[in-house]
Amino acid sequence: MLIAGTVPVTDMPLIFGRVEKEGKKLRVDGHYLPCTQGTMAMVSAALATTCHLGLEPPRVLLAGDIGTGKGSRLIYQYLIEHIEELAPRVLALHYCLPIVTLMQKLYTAVEKCRPRPVLIADAGSMYAAKAAGVAPHFDIFTPDPSEIAFLADPEAVHPAYISRHLFEDAFARVPELIKHAYANGGAAKCLLVKGAVDYIVKDGVIVDEIKEPDVPQMECIGGTGDTITGMVTAFAYAELELEQAASISAKANRAAGQRANPTPATSVAEIIDQLPVVFRENLCSWSGICTR
Amino acid sequence: MVLSWLKKSLEARAGTAVARGLVIFTTVEEAMKAEKVLKKAGFDCKLVAPPPDMRKGCDLALEIDLVEQTAVARTLTGRVSFMGIYPCKGEMEPLQVEKVTRFAEHVMIKSGNMKLVFDIKTGVIVNISGGGCPDIPYLYTRLVGTHLAAAPRPRDEGRTLCALMLDRALEKALEIWKGVAPN
Repeated sequence: MLIAGTVPVTDMPLIFGRVEKEGKKLRVDGHYLPCTQGTMAMVSAALATTCHLGLEPPRVLLAGDIGTGKGSRLIYQYLIEHIEELAPRVLALHYCLPIVTLMQKLYTAVEKCRPRPVLIADAGSMYAAKAAGVAPHFDIFTPDPSEIAFLADPEAVHPAYISRHLFEDAFARVPELIKHAYANGGAAKCLLVKGAVDYIVKDGVIVDEIKEPDVPQMECIGGTGDTITGMVTAFAYAELELEQAASISAKANRAAGQRANPTPATSVAEIIDQLPVVFRENLCSWSGICTR
Repeated sequence: MVLSWLKKSLEARAGTAVARGLVIFTTVEEAMKAEKVLKKAGFDCKLVAPPPDMRKGCDLALEIDLVEQTAVARTLTGRVSFMGIYPCKGEMEPLQVEKVTRFAEHVMIKSGNMKLVFDIKTGVIVNISGGGCPDIPYLYTRLVGTHLAAAPRPRDEGRTLCALMLDRALEKALEIWKGVAPN
């Protein structure tokens, strides 16, 4: 499993390695990073999942980027040149500046890999995949309602430019937007649309809806979508079917939120701290994966 | 492996085209001056002829990476006069719809793909959620824990369209905090 994304650290170089947890921080290649919104929340949730399953920790490719695109370009370019030798079974792309030409080159490089990795995208990498016209070749996207409106809008090049009517109705019209996203080539093979209802979609068909427990405060907490994507990545690495990986991840995220008893001011790290207990108590019954 | 590759990569910078946008100018001179200003600031841009339906000003426009609209506008403002920045396809203006959700002690503002949450009693920003551009986790570290009135503006410190959406959420939050807008 390889997770690639930027972190909000000015001038942090490109780093690559297995992630370890040390206290409240994550350590990669000698760098200590906090579990905050974005790539590191995703990595933290993936690590919590692999720990529970007894799998090796995720490999991560990170670079500092505070919006200039410098770190994003390093990540894209490194993956383009090295993806065959890295040979991940699952490749998850996360916070990166959406650079269409580099995403197209990366997709071309990934298609040459044998076996081809499971391709997962969220955040800016998902925006890039849609804008580059390669969304249907990805295995799973994890958009929220505003992002499914973006995937459904064939003209939009970024969620800031979606049609006003699509945004205004997005939260009530997710199933319809899912259909549009598939019809317009904006969707991956599988979708997990995160929201008040989590929709799991395979090849355009909604195969599961998860509504409980309902914890409205979770929407406020930066990183609670990233955690879902991190768990999906880890469960895909454990060779679960993607729709099952998505369903379990959505359930676990909600259960972790409920256990944390959050307010809108809660941090994502407090949610992630609950994942080990959630897995211990529920994963066996949810999935048949029963660890000691 | 990473270090040796990194050195080579920095010497040969990758292609950079993203979804494109156009900066429109009144005069050719302004377009040419803007190209110099943006290139000096490190932006990828090139002078092009705008398509007929976007020919609002002169016959020369500057093609940019649209996701960097916020940073491009900031760099040009006060240096070169421009009529506007527009995507090459789709909606011509960024989304401007804010939705307000009220919790017991907090208010959440949604603007596009961004959400900002503040404490209704103290005015302190307590969370930022959503978005996918790399300046958002950075802006999270800059804004969360600061008072709405003292927080740095995402349009000043961010670079992307996600930052622009976050700025609009902050603006709406400030209106509510100051009692100008209903919450």
